[in-house]
Amino acid sequence: MVIDLTKCVRCYACIAACRIEHFLPMGMSWPRLMALETGDPEPTVSTYSVRCNQCQEAPCIEVCPTGATQQREDGIVWVDQDKCVGCRYCIIACPYQNRIFLSRDKDTGFFPGKDKTDFEKAGKKLYAHEIGTTEKCNFCAERIDAGLAKGLKPGVDREATPACVNTCPARALTFGDLNDPDSEISKLIREKGGFQLHPEYGTDPSIYFIDGKIGYSDTPETEKQTGEKADRIAVER
Amino acid sequence: MEIHEWMIKYTRQTEWIDRRGIFLWIAFYAGGLGGGLYLVSLYFNSLWGMFISWLIIAVLKGSTHLIYLGKPLRAWRIVTRPGSSWLARGLIFVLSFVVFGAVQLAFSYWLPGNPGEVVFKILAGIMAFAVTVYTGFVLNTVKGMPFWNSPLLPVLFVLCGILGGFGLSVVIALNGGSVDIAAAETGSRWLLIINALFIAIYLWRASIREATGKQSVMEQMRGNLAPVFWIGIVILGIIIPVIVAFSSYFAGEVSSGLLVTGVACEIVGGLALRYCVLKAGAYKPLVARAGQQPAVQ
Repeated sequence: MVIDLTKCVRCYACIAACRIEHFLPMGMSWPRLMALETGDPEPTVSTYSVRCNQCQEAPCIEVCPTGATQQREDGIVWVDQDKCVGCRYCIIACPYQNRIFLSRDKDTGFFPGKDKTDFEKAGKKLYAHEIGTTEKCNFCAERIDAGLAKGLKPGVDREATPACVNTCPARALTFGDLNDPDSEISKLIREKGGFQLHPEYGTDPSIYFIDGKIGYSDTPETEKQTGEKADRIAVER
Repeated sequence: MEIHEWMIKYTRQTEWIDRRGIFLWIAFYAGGLGGGLYLVSLYFNSLWGMFISWLIIAVLKGSTHLIYLGKPLRAWRIVTRPGSSWLARGLIFVLSFVVFGAVQLAFSYWLPGNPGEVVFKILAGIMAFAVTVYTGFVLNTVKGMPFWNSPLLPVLFVLCGILGGFGLSVVIALNGGSVDIAAAETGSRWLLIINALFIAIYLWRASIREATGKQSVMEQMRGNLAPVFWIGIVILGIIIPVIVAFSSYFAGEVSSGLLVTGVACEIVGGLALRYCVLKAGAYKPLVARAGQQPAVQ
């Protein structure tokens, strides 16, 4: 997948599409949007859409003690909810922090304390979202499989393409085969200088960004500058 | 709009220390302490020490680990991937220790001197060492956290575990266990000094590796973790036990109450060390670029 940050308009459509596609519990979101002010003295807000990078050398697969996290032949990394024990080693090991543990407080329903709606009940049948396990973006693997079964091409035909990509009104997201040098995403990466996040980890992410605003944090200079500016460590997720 | 600080600032890990993560902290420490005590007890041939270490690993570590899991009934699945996961290897080490240790205790109690006792002492000893060291490797393999991603961490955890083992051996000796108290105190003294030096080296190495590592160290020394670091690790874990150890060395003999206090401080120090290591583990920002600030809306 290629995410062209120059086109993202911060509409949240990708997040909404994912939520609807996977009946996500209210307390979690697989893709996420981040906003940053860049530029001085006249700052502009830049947005960054992030999700599981589907790393080809995924550390989450390596550390998973049960084999719940697996990689398909097409490179998609997915979690078998029936095998996950909720040890959260994968969450710790993911340097991109793109995995989420589904705890009880993240799945309180649309109306906490009330019965589930028919929509929620239908969703639970399709996607169980088991409490006590880890979840993450799977590039809508079920859509891709269904599309492929019909002879469709992921990234070209909508029915075989992730929901977030289909729904993006700005066409900031592009999906396709990284191994095919003639695919649209391969051309985008080549022509617009697509880059991976933190390539120094050796994880070989399958998501490339186009922008120039996201810096490479591993250069000694930015590392030093960022270190000087660093605030106290704190996180609320 | 929600601002995701975790992507643009150094963010500490929360899953393995906050909320139910507290159980994992206790489990990690119990593994080190139990393994260390078993190794020390092997040296002194103390049956009580071996039994207590077995209880620490089988009951305390085992139960806290299980409580932490999101799906504890599936815990058996953890042993299925020892090829790549240190957590899987760790559980195998723990289970092997529990089995070998139980057989060895049975031999030592009912058939002392039997060749089986020696064999199972060796096997349980190897597993006890593995239980002590594996948590260091569990953390050490996390590439995204420079503070953890250090080859010194497993060594630090082993030293800390054996130090706790020597401390508990002193308590066992005071209660009539078959431990040479003078030797246990000598071991404690040396390990206290080595441990203190190693903690200093570990922090120094972490602080010069990367900005994120430095941030983790600063968080302990001057940030929110400073009380735990200075009171827990430095004062309770090092200074008070050192004072007690050297009082006993120079004065010849100190009261058993003082020795027990020293050991209790040592254990609190070990717990504080694990707590600080887990709590200060921080990721590099996902998007790091000097001059960027989160948008406020």
